[in-house]
Amino acid sequence: MALDPGTAVGAGLALIGAGIAIGVAGLGTGIAQAQIGAAAVGATAEDPKMFGKGMILMVLPETIVILGFVVAFLLLGKT
Amino acid sequence: MLKPEEMTRAVVVGSIESLDTTIECLYELGILHLIDFTDQDEEFSIGQPLPKASDTSQKLLKLRAMMRSLEIEEHKPIHPMHVHDIRSRMDQALVTLDLNTSSKADSRQKIQALVREKEGEIRALEPIIPFAIAVELYDGYDNLSSFVGTCRTDPGAALKGKVSECEVFVDSRKSDVVIAAFVRNEDRTEAMKILAEHAFQELKLPKVKGDPDEIVVQLRKQIKELDADLARIEADLDAIRKQFADFIISSEEHLSIEILKAETPLRVATSANSFVIDGWVPTSRVEEITTALDTMCCGLAFIETVSPEKHEEPPVKLKNPKPVKPFEFFINLVSTPKYEEIDPTLVLFITFPLFFGFMIGDLGFGLGLMALGAIMRWKMKSSPDLYKLGTIVLAGGLLASVFGVFLFAEAFGVPFHPPAEAHDEASWEVVANIPIHPILDKMHDTQEMLGISLFVGWIHLTLGLVFGFYNHYHHNRKHAFGKIAWAVILFGLFEEIMVIAGNATETSTFVNATIYGFMPDSSMSLIGVDISIPAVVLILLGVIALPFTEGPLALTEVIGLFTNLVSYARLAALAVGKGAMALAFNTILFPLIFDSGNIGVAILGALALFVTQMFFVFFLGALSAGIQAIRLNYVEFFLKFFEGGGTDFQPLSYERKHSVATK
Repeated sequence: MALDPGTAVGAGLALIGAGIAIGVAGLGTGIAQAQIGAAAVGATAEDPKMFGKGMILMVLPETIVILGFVVAFLLLGKT
Repeated sequence: MLKPEEMTRAVVVGSIESLDTTIECLYELGILHLIDFTDQDEEFSIGQPLPKASDTSQKLLKLRAMMRSLEIEEHKPIHPMHVHDIRSRMDQALVTLDLNTSSKADSRQKIQALVREKEGEIRALEPIIPFAIAVELYDGYDNLSSFVGTCRTDPGAALKGKVSECEVFVDSRKSDVVIAAFVRNEDRTEAMKILAEHAFQELKLPKVKGDPDEIVVQLRKQIKELDADLARIEADLDAIRKQFADFIISSEEHLSIEILKAETPLRVATSANSFVIDGWVPTSRVEEITTALDTMCCGLAFIETVSPEKHEEPPVKLKNPKPVKPFEFFINLVSTPKYEEIDPTLVLFITFPLFFGFMIGDLGFGLGLMALGAIMRWKMKSSPDLYKLGTIVLAGGLLASVFGVFLFAEAFGVPFHPPAEAHDEASWEVVANIPIHPILDKMHDTQEMLGISLFVGWIHLTLGLVFGFYNHYHHNRKHAFGKIAWAVILFGLFEEIMVIAGNATETSTFVNATIYGFMPDSSMSLIGVDISIPAVVLILLGVIALPFTEGPLALTEVIGLFTNLVSYARLAALAVGKGAMALAFNTILFPLIFDSGNIGVAILGALALFVTQMFFVFFLGALSAGIQAIRLNYVEFFLKFFEGGGTDFQPLSYERKHSVATK
C-alpha cells in the first residue's frame, strides 16, 4: 500500500492503540477475575449451591475486556 | 411456561387411627408438599413416630453394617425383590446373615490388622539385614545411645570426625542411606545434631530377638499363612454375598422407605384423637388427593383447601413443556424463582442455543457438538444433570450447525467458498461446490456482526426489563415503573449507538429505517460524533424518572446499563475470535498438508491440524461460547428481574429403584 508517511504513521499509531486497548483491558480483567475466581471456587467447595452466584460474580469483570475490544475495534476503523 | 405450577394450600385432617394409612396414601401420590408443624400448644403437639419405626431402624442398622462388611454398597440388584418377599424373608435372613457374617467379618478384620502389623515389622527390619546384628543388640544399653534409621546423605564421616568414640554401620546401596550408630550417652546431643543435618529418620525396630534376616523369613511365612486364612474367609463371605446381595440391597431400600414414612408424624400436628397435615398441593391435582383419601381411608381422613395467609410463600414447581425442561438446569444453578416471579426457562431455551450457535457458527463443530450432546444423553441417563447438559449441548450444536450452513457457510473453520476479499484462501471448493454462500463472513463483516449483537442485546435486555416490570407490578409499583424508565434509557442508548453507526452496517440501516423511522429525524454533530436529539431526550427523560422510582443511587447504574448493552458485543467477539483461531491453524497447516509433496509430512500435518482444531477451537471454543452464552443470561438478563430464593416443591414421596412394590 502506498500511503503518505503521515497517514501511515497515524494508522500505525491507531493499530498500536488498538493493541494496547485490548491487551491492557484483558490484563485488567485477568487480575480482577483471578481473585474473584479463587473466592468463588472456595465458596462453591463449601456449598455447591453457590456455583451460580459465584459464576455471576466471576464473570462481571469480563465487561472490561469487552469494552477494550470495542475500543480496539473502533480504532481499527480509523486506519 | 413462564409461571410455575399453581399451588393450593391444603389441610389433611383425620382421626388418629387413620394416620398411617393417610401417610401411606400421600407418599404413593407424591403430590403434597408438607409444611413442618412447629408451634405446639395444649391441643396439638408433634406426632410420635409410627410404632414400626424403632424395629425397622434396628433392622436397617444391621443391614447397613452387613453391607459394609460384605462390601456391597455399590451393588445393583440383578433381580429387585418384591416387598412381600422382603417382608416374609426378613427375620430369618437377618438371623442367618448375622450368624455367618459378623464373626467372619470380625476375623477378617483381625487377620488384616495382624498382616499389616507383620508387614510393618518387615519394613522396619529389612533395612538392617545387611548389618547382620541381632535385633535385640540395637537397644537396651546403660551407657550407650543407639540410632537406627535412614539419612538422605551418609553421616558416617561426620559422626566419626566429631564424636570421639562411636561405632557406625552404613548401608548406602539404596537411595536413602541406612545407618546404625552407637555413641556414648554424653555424645548423644552432638550425634543427634549431626544426624539431623543429614535428614535422619528413625526406624522403630520391633521388640524381637535374633537375626533380622531369619525373623523376616519367619514373618513372611506367617503372613502367607494368614493370607491363606483370609482367602478362605473371603471365599465364605463371597458365597454369602452372592446369595444375599440382592436381598440386602432391596431390603435396605425398602426399610429406608418404611422409616421415611414411619417418621413422618414427627412433622405433623396430632392431638389425642386426630391429626392435621398442613401442606401445598398443585391445584390441578387436588381432586386426585380427595378421591384417593376417600377410597383408602374410608372417610376417616379428608382434605380441605384453605386460603393461604399473606406471609406464606407456596413452594415452586417449575412448569415447562418437555423440550424446555432441560434448561431448568441453568435456573437451578442460580436459585429457584419465587412463586410470584416469572420463570425465565423458556427464554433460556430460546436464547442460549441462539447465542451459542452464533458464537460457534460452524457446520463441522456444530455437528461435533451435536454428537457430543447425543452421547451424553445416551450414556449419562443415570445422572440427571449431565443428561440435561447433554440436551443443552445438542440444542446448541444444532443451532451452531444451522448458523454454520446458512449464515456463515463454513465447516471446521474453512469457508464453503473463498471470500470475495481473499480469493486464494483455502475453501471447501477443493472438495465440493456447495451452492450456499455466506450471508456474513466472520473475518470481514465484523462490523455487521457487532451491529447484530447489539440489536439482539437490546431486545434481550428490554425483555428482561419487561419481566422486571411484571415481577414488581403487584407489590411495588414504583419499582415497576422504574423498569420502564430503564427501558426508555436503554432505547435511547441503543438509538444513539445506531445513529452513530449510521449506514455503516445493514443492521443499523435497518434499525434506523424501521424502529426509529417514526421518530423525528433531528441530529446534530458534536466533535465529529452524530448525536440523535430524540435519543438524548429519551435518555434524559429516563434519567429524570429514575430518582423518583428506583432512588437516587440508581443514577450510577446508567453507565452499567450501557456496559450491559455493549457486553453483547461478546457475541461478535467470540465468533470472530474463534473464526480467527481456526483460520490461523488452517493457514499454518494447510500448506503442510497440500503443498509438501511428502505423504508422511502431509499425514503429520493433518494430524496436527486435527488435534489443534479439536483442542483449541472445539473444546475451548465450545466451553467459552457456552460460558458466555449463559453469562449473558445470568448477568445481563437475570439481574434485570430475577430475585430467586423460592422454596423447591418437595412432595412426600420416595424413589424405589432396587425393590418392587405393587400398589
